Amino acid sequence: MTVHKGRGIAAIEYPTGMNQNGDPSQAWIKVKPDGRIDVFAGTSDIGNGSKTIQSQIVAETIGVPYEWITYDNSNTDSSPVCTGTFASRATFVAGMAVKKAAERVRERILDIAGKELEIDPADLDIVDGEVIAKGSPQTKISVPDVAAAATWGHGELITGAGAQLKPYAAIVEPETGKVDLPPHSAISYASCAAEVEVDDETGEVRVTRLVQCFDVGRAINPTLVEGQIEGGAIQGLGLGVLETSYPYYPGMEHRGGQFGSYLAPGMEDLPVMDTVLIENPSVDGPYGAKGIGEMANNPQPPAIATAVHDAVGVWVTELPITPERVLRALQRKAAGEGEPTRKGKLIVYDEELSLAAVAHPDAPVRLVVDA
Amino acid sequence: MNLNVNGRTHEIESPPLTTLLDVLREELGVHSPKVGCEQGGCGACTVLVDGAPRRSCLLPVAALDGAEITTVEGLGAAEHLEPVQAAFVHHYAAQCGFCTSGLLMAATAYIANGGTDDREAIAEALGGHVCRCTGYVKIVDAVAAAARGDEFDLSVTAAGLFTTTMSGGAA
Repeated sequence: MTVHKGRGIAAIEYPTGMNQNGDPSQAWIKVKPDGRIDVFAGTSDIGNGSKTIQSQIVAETIGVPYEWITYDNSNTDSSPVCTGTFASRATFVAGMAVKKAAERVRERILDIAGKELEIDPADLDIVDGEVIAKGSPQTKISVPDVAAAATWGHGELITGAGAQLKPYAAIVEPETGKVDLPPHSAISYASCAAEVEVDDETGEVRVTRLVQCFDVGRAINPTLVEGQIEGGAIQGLGLGVLETSYPYYPGMEHRGGQFGSYLAPGMEDLPVMDTVLIENPSVDGPYGAKGIGEMANNPQPPAIATAVHDAVGVWVTELPITPERVLRALQRKAAGEGEPTRKGKLIVYDEELSLAAVAHPDAPVRLVVDA
Repeated sequence: MNLNVNGRTHEIESPPLTTLLDVLREELGVHSPKVGCEQGGCGACTVLVDGAPRRSCLLPVAALDGAEITTVEGLGAAEHLEPVQAAFVHHYAAQCGFCTSGLLMAATAYIANGGTDDREAIAEALGGHVCRCTGYVKIVDAVAAAARGDEFDLSVTAAGLFTTTMSGGAA
């Protein structure tokens, strides 16, 4: 008849982009006569912030302020193809497409600025919206003036297109599943530590604290990626202890008929949360970024399950860990009937494929802990 | 019957048992209140009725003759946001945005009634609003910041160089 406290931890790895690849993204950028930048891409922003992040990538790559970027993803017919927002790919794959398009725009700006300044474009740089001569920063021309010169003097539209595609990895050995290309892009790593309170009379599990530690490659927008991780954490809490259509499923005639029959976490279920970002840059993502969208709700349920075991000494091997399942496990243990055993899953770890191939060999790993 | 919506009086033509939500969206073209569960369970349709947060999906319009209704359209526009709206922008408190209208109205009433930045009090006041994207952390951050009267320079918000305050650690 007591409340037991427990702690648990779980670690996961997760690939970025579509398994076996073959998911292209394309982007097209043009510069208005006043220097503002229009980005056309088909990546829908479902709240993950891809529009903000891709605009940041374009601004950083060209060398202009973020406010100059207009990102138009409103028309998938007139925009270039993007396979979509799924598989944690919007920052990584589509981000590379806008980065490549922005690199070409940057080249065109430097070329026209070189003609205006009569300097070799290789000796020019773009900093905060101005094209400056390297080593002689007082010799400069603003990007708006370059865009005006292109429009009214050179008869040119400054534009650039970019595309990202890792080709489809075909299976060459059906027996083993071996493919002819690495089957995915960057791998992210993450762990979650959970603290729970388990009431051994009611079986209720309350998650009191979640600590998320995610390798994001490079946090292009730290608050946005933290928002993805926090949102995933509460979804993971829901998957761990609340969300199911059981006991109604699969009998459709008995399933919950009300919105409230499905227990999604509410604000009052919110535990103390800590988020730790690890920057372990990828070789092939924009500025070292990796995709973490889908993995964000993966480590919490196993961390909660191990915390429940730490608290009351039973393994609950089905999700969600409902009061009924906790009480049944406690009853079986008390009756000496044995409890569900948790057999570890064997993982074949190929270091070359899994780590060395996706981590940047020279880039330092950076740990960002929120104060 | 008449409804005053965001300071303007309208004569309502919908049948009396039409919900306030349908009158707002379909007859008056006020689209910030969202049609979520239509059972009073999700909070997405919340508007202020004479200053109090109410589920507009559950209110027959006949019961509201002469009432003053406030929706997000009655808060600040993009160039002069209300403090609670600015706090939501600054703290990245919206992702897909479907719950945001209801939360903004509930938070407006919470702060107008003297609500503080106490996290448990905020969860108590706004606990009936479901959000599936944010995990609530940045929503609570934003409401707490608005309740404190924090001011924000939204021109530097985009880079997102700040992190959550919802830490159990030393801070």
